[in-house]
Amino acid sequence: MKAVILAAGEGMRLRPLTVSEPKVMIPVANRPILEYVVDSLVKNDVTDMVVVVGYRKERIMSHFEDGKKFGARIEYVVQEKQLGNGHALLAAKDRLSGEFVVLPGDNVVDRRAVGDLLRSGTCPSALVVESDNPSKYGVVTLERGAITSVHEKPAEMISNIILTGMYCLNERIFQAIDGCIAEGEYGLSNAVQASLGEQPVAPVFSDGLWIDAVYPWDLLELNAAALENVPVRTAGKIESQVVLSGPVGIGEETIIRAGTTIYGPVLIGDGCEIGPNVTIFPSTSIGNSVTVEPYTVIKNSVLMSNCSIGAHSYLSHSVLGYGVKSQSHLMAAGAEAYVNIADEFFKVPHIGSILGEDTSFGTGVSVEPGTIVGAGCKVSSGARITRNLPNKALVT
Amino acid sequence: MCGIVGYAGGRNAQPILLDCLKRLEYRGYDSAGIAVVGDPIQKGLQLFKSKGEIAVLESSMPEMTGTVGIAHTRWATQGRPTTENAHPLSDCTNRLAVVHNGIISNFMEVKEHLLATGHKFVSETDTEVFAHLVEAEMNGDLVAAVRKALEKVEGTYAFVVVSAGHDEIVAARRESPLVIGLGDGENFVASDVTALLKYTSRFLHVQDGEVVSLTRDEVRIFDSEGTAVERRPEKITWSLEDAEKGGYPHFMLKEIYEQPEAIHDSLLGRMESAEPEPFFQGNSFSSVKIVACGTSYHAGLVGKYIIEELAKVPTTVQISSEYRYSPVSRESPLVVLITQSGETADTLGAAREARKRGNKTVGIANVVGSAITREVDHVIYTRAGPEIGVAATKTFVTQVVALYLLAMELGVQNRSLTAQARRSMTSFLRSLPRYVQDVLNKASEIEAIAEKYARSDDMFFIGRSINYPIALEGALKTKEISYIHGEGFPAGELKHGPLALLSKDSPVVAIAVRDHTYEKMLGNISEVSARGSPVIAIGFEGDTDLPKFADDVLSIRQLPPIFTPVPVIVALQLWAYHLARIRGCPIDKPRNIAKTVTVE
Repeated sequence: MKAVILAAGEGMRLRPLTVSEPKVMIPVANRPILEYVVDSLVKNDVTDMVVVVGYRKERIMSHFEDGKKFGARIEYVVQEKQLGNGHALLAAKDRLSGEFVVLPGDNVVDRRAVGDLLRSGTCPSALVVESDNPSKYGVVTLERGAITSVHEKPAEMISNIILTGMYCLNERIFQAIDGCIAEGEYGLSNAVQASLGEQPVAPVFSDGLWIDAVYPWDLLELNAAALENVPVRTAGKIESQVVLSGPVGIGEETIIRAGTTIYGPVLIGDGCEIGPNVTIFPSTSIGNSVTVEPYTVIKNSVLMSNCSIGAHSYLSHSVLGYGVKSQSHLMAAGAEAYVNIADEFFKVPHIGSILGEDTSFGTGVSVEPGTIVGAGCKVSSGARITRNLPNKALVT
Repeated sequence: MCGIVGYAGGRNAQPILLDCLKRLEYRGYDSAGIAVVGDPIQKGLQLFKSKGEIAVLESSMPEMTGTVGIAHTRWATQGRPTTENAHPLSDCTNRLAVVHNGIISNFMEVKEHLLATGHKFVSETDTEVFAHLVEAEMNGDLVAAVRKALEKVEGTYAFVVVSAGHDEIVAARRESPLVIGLGDGENFVASDVTALLKYTSRFLHVQDGEVVSLTRDEVRIFDSEGTAVERRPEKITWSLEDAEKGGYPHFMLKEIYEQPEAIHDSLLGRMESAEPEPFFQGNSFSSVKIVACGTSYHAGLVGKYIIEELAKVPTTVQISSEYRYSPVSRESPLVVLITQSGETADTLGAAREARKRGNKTVGIANVVGSAITREVDHVIYTRAGPEIGVAATKTFVTQVVALYLLAMELGVQNRSLTAQARRSMTSFLRSLPRYVQDVLNKASEIEAIAEKYARSDDMFFIGRSINYPIALEGALKTKEISYIHGEGFPAGELKHGPLALLSKDSPVVAIAVRDHTYEKMLGNISEVSARGSPVIAIGFEGDTDLPKFADDVLSIRQLPPIFTPVPVIVALQLWAYHLARIRGCPIDKPRNIAKTVTVE
């Protein structure tokens, strides 16, 4: 069976982390989210894939190429305008026949969740889960083992069963999508709702892992979950008096300098230089070519490739995009905070800051918990950042 | 990376293996080999290997008869690319042959054990231990022997094994790619489906830990316990070329987008070491001569500015084919030879000449173990991976990166560069991929400007100082793929002649980053505008003056002047690419040009 992976969207609610790459390519435990999806399919012997790409498609194509490296065969189709996921699926129509599975490329799923959908024995079917927060999703009502209605992001409580966006579908869905688009609805759940009269859609429940990353702080949770299953491999050079405790993965040509202490699960990429005397606490992922200078403490954070963090810094519950540079004494501590995303405020129990790619900080900058700093900002020494900054902001 | 194929069928195996192997040449091409089980099968094994590309194998190998065989094309990782180290590798009896892709991590200990039990080794490879392990376990049943041998090896692999007296191929995989192709009365195995698409569209994927037996009539898959596994064949519907380009319309574009990764790979493990490379230790050079052809020559010209600035050593650059005509100088320069393939005949000749003159030599090459690496005293590899598009992109950028590393090494040795200065250089080099990514993010802006000028017949490129060679390289990229007549000049030379060529139909691309040449560049741009030529300027983000002087502006993120050539050339690669695409040119295979020139 062929799989269609929808990977064209930017992921606007994750801005500024999507400046250089689409949401599906954001690294979680040093692997792009999409890789988990591809991997789960391959492990279920689904190797023929159509990936619908759009925003920053080159990042996807350069990483996955034709899929060989991942045991898959990937072909790409382009959705020029990202109007909705139903419209995205339509872009793959020519490459599909009979039955196929559809997966969102930006949710982390494990082998089991995909397996449950594939082996449910019915098609069309939809993978559903119970959710504590159904109003963010497509909510379904069930009757006698079939989905009877779909409500997209309902304001009132209808049910706590939501669509994961993973489906087994057949060609007849395209007619429903065409119909919905004619009425100005581009979502796939609209088309599924419209098709219910003609063919029933079976709900498939799964105990497998399915995590949706919508907001930047979801990445920390995702990262922590993924790190639990990371195979540990220690390469590189580890100097004396380094303490590695718990699962710690260290990449090729990385140097861990003397006196550094790392409590796993922690993953560090290739070509990094950490220490001397750095302390890294659990659930932290560090990409490639990252430098961390002495006496810095990092906790439950994601540092993407090419970051460079000066001495005596403190990072907790924070996400640093590619190439963030800071001189000494950067303070990005975590605490309960209200985070402003597109003028909506979210109360997050424990969040540090989200620092956009290629932003640079002078010495002694402190960033308040829950603050989102845009990409390519320049922040002068001694500044205290208390509210969100747009891309390329200058703080003097 | 290496490429593997195997065939078991009713037809003569040799030509089929060779044909499939050529499709895998992108996976490596420093040596190749083939083994065919004799016909009748009792006759023993016919094995032939050679150093160099598959074409060398093809022209030198004897005719083989037999319908079962394996072949391999290599990109050396463990052991130099020599005929001995080429695959297939044999056991002591020469009745077994093994091809391998991957790395056996415990091969040293296994080898010691095998040596102790009397096995004889002829190569430096990790692969050879596997041939001997299978030999040791061989009891008539090849599948069982391979499975037992696998228990003793650690690491990653795709193995394919044939044995004299067996009409069977046995394959195994862990973390290296391997697929089975199903034909009518014949079956195939290969590193990827592209190798086999000409012969079949039905495939079985081999999973990690599985062992597969293939004969002309049957394919059996076993899991690591030896239990037979059922697998449904899958059908493939895509074309060959598309598969290899992984979604990109051209190899050149794919390779342009691979540059951040290529820079990262080229720097890996080369910046942290406190101790200098032994070659440079105690060697102080009073001058440097860089010798290269084509795009590599342009990298050399950039290298001149880098070395002179960081190591304060006078540096000259010469075209390889001209080097031999230069008189022997009184002093003895360090001669740096740059060639992507490592096989460029003119540059090889220059390397021999330099050695004859008693000079120390350094080679910068992309192909491990290529000819140049044996002609020089020290090699710096660019780790750009195979480049298929004829227009050099990622290999140029990684050559420049290698020159930064070389200049830093020379600078530290002769004390022009302090340890602290070197540290801040390396720290900057680490973030260089980000500046390239930033240019890639602006591809659509570059495309939009290219759209305006694609109909031009002539185009000029100007720059000063370290960006003068980038003007030359931008012009070369443009002319070689878009067939627009492109010329690069040092901006200061315009008034000495080239201004006469300018008209309103000849756009001028001006590199005007904010360095010590900036004011002068603005002057040159005005000079050009006054002749009515449209100006496309490449400058720094946030430069509010440049748009007042130029018709179109392409911005790159601000960075130290010495590093500007890298993002600027990436912008010009995209520029040339889009010009060529809009004009409908055959981008990956421009007329009259070959990738590697092995004739003088």
